[in-house]
Amino acid sequence: MPAIRTRGLTKRYDGGWFGADVTAVEDVDLVVEEGEVYGFLGPNGAGKSTTIDMLLDYARPTAGTAEILGHDAQADSEAVSERVGVLPEGYGLYDRLSGRRTLEFAVEWQGATDDPDALLSRVGLDPDDAARPVGDYSKGMTQRLALAMALVGDPDLLVLDEPSSGLDPNGIRRLREIVREEADRGTTVFFSSHVLGQVEAVCDRVGILDDGELVAVDTVDGLREAVGASSTLELTMAEPTPTDVVTDEGVSAVEARGTRLRVTCEDSRAKARVVADVLESGHDVVDVGSESASLEDLFAAYTDGDAPTGGVDGETGDGEADGEQRLTDESADAAEVISR
Amino acid sequence: MTWQQIARKDFEDAVRSKMLWGIMAVFVGFMAFVVGVTLANSDGGGASGDAALGLTAQLGQLFVPLIALIAGYMAVVGERRTGSLRVLLGYPHSRWDVVLGKLVGRTGVIAVTLGVGSVVSIALVALATASPDLGAVAGLLGAIVLFGAAITGLAVGISASVRSRGTAMALAIGSVLVFLIVWDAAAAGAYALVTGALPGLEAEPWYFLLKRLNPVGAFRVVAGAFVDGYIHEFFSLGLEQIPEGTETEQLAVENRVDGSLPVYLSEWVAALTLVAWALVPSLVGYLRFSRSDL
Repeated sequence: MPAIRTRGLTKRYDGGWFGADVTAVEDVDLVVEEGEVYGFLGPNGAGKSTTIDMLLDYARPTAGTAEILGHDAQADSEAVSERVGVLPEGYGLYDRLSGRRTLEFAVEWQGATDDPDALLSRVGLDPDDAARPVGDYSKGMTQRLALAMALVGDPDLLVLDEPSSGLDPNGIRRLREIVREEADRGTTVFFSSHVLGQVEAVCDRVGILDDGELVAVDTVDGLREAVGASSTLELTMAEPTPTDVVTDEGVSAVEARGTRLRVTCEDSRAKARVVADVLESGHDVVDVGSESASLEDLFAAYTDGDAPTGGVDGETGDGEADGEQRLTDESADAAEVISR
Repeated sequence: MTWQQIARKDFEDAVRSKMLWGIMAVFVGFMAFVVGVTLANSDGGGASGDAALGLTAQLGQLFVPLIALIAGYMAVVGERRTGSLRVLLGYPHSRWDVVLGKLVGRTGVIAVTLGVGSVVSIALVALATASPDLGAVAGLLGAIVLFGAAITGLAVGISASVRSRGTAMALAIGSVLVFLIVWDAAAAGAYALVTGALPGLEAEPWYFLLKRLNPVGAFRVVAGAFVDGYIHEFFSLGLEQIPEGTETEQLAVENRVDGSLPVYLSEWVAALTLVAWALVPSLVGYLRFSRSDL
């Protein structure tokens, strides 16, 4: 039984007497298997939140059905809520309640026995801050509290809608740790984002939503292959080196520029072999750099219909948080290199 | 069924809200004013206690709906706008739990506000003069709280039905105007249409029922059971053809209906009308809320 299954899920908004109808989500068939971390990607306005709203019964589908952990999302919404932890988009908290009191309410509502202090420390919210009213919180603190509220009652499924928005690099790292911990405990995580580096770092599978339609579903590696993306290895040698030191069959092109060797690999696993071969052949390697086709390229390819190209900065909005995140995250360095 | 949790949260949140204390202060201030005015205008100590009750009921027609609507019209739509409803419904609460919890929570808030305000003002009277009959005080208190609950039910119903704060506010203000001014005029108009003449001092019994379906009218009846003398409409457009020089005692419904009073003109029916106002609009609001997107 999948954690999430939608069939023909569609949401149209009536444009009224004079406006045109707007289709926010069209015929989405989504399957999220139990125990996986599923990244739900798409540009702003693609319909991610509308889809999630229908999964959580915040909005009613125009057509189609959604099943969560075997329960109908609409008819059994309370049964769904009992097993699902939610960090919704556009949520608000009660400004006058303290963070700790808010969390106590969440524990009570979920019928759980969690220790609020343990949850607070898990999301990295200071006990002093937890005593203050939520109305005084920064966006990042609010987001941490909301994440703690989603974790109450050890849910079987976590639905996180843009969980990294407003978080600083530390918060994003902590979020990622929590997602991994939860996944290790068998929790299914459904994670929406328009920031690709984050999804790339934690997700098993990715679905890309564009203009209300699910345009691609695959593993991160699979998506790379599907688009035919290649990754590049850049070796800085102690002295100019002929290109024929690289003989690996996973390599499609080698280019020499001064002391640098630029090796284009069709298979990212070839990179390690190439480095080992070069070292074994007695050449002195000063530095190794790597660029992999990032999800940004894939994203651009899927949403614009163009072939992926290096240097495309597929992201708009949330640039600050993303920039900071890249600086702190090695796995996203590749994207950084490309956009330079 | 988790509505108790929501009711408790709502009550706790309201207690922290400055607005609630502001409303209570205004209400107590208003009651103190009423008491002061009554004392200044009366000579006998015994009369002033009853007069204070009468004036409280009189002004309560305006103040209770205002307070209840102010405290209630944001109950659901406010959480909808801030997004806290998304959090609330992320837990195992149904939309019915939300509406019922809000109804109970806000009614509790209103009951406490009106109760404290009324007790304070009556204590002031008791200190200044001979205290009014305690049974009458308790009865009027009950009538005011029931009236407050009726209007709170309407406010929560409005709040659950609409998507924006502006719409909720317009409906709340509109309903006060309807109850205080339009309703009685419409009843008189309906009477004229059916019988060919505006109601006079004596009128068909159903005309009085029509006026009592208005929660304000029902409150006048229920409160009148505990207050000496006739409680006048807050605004009277003078559409009833009452001869000049009519004694206020003659305005009692018993004297205006031919023969014995039908059951539907009893105080109990008026009280039930208030209960219906507390429940039916919330039910309608829930039905609309349950079908809509957040």
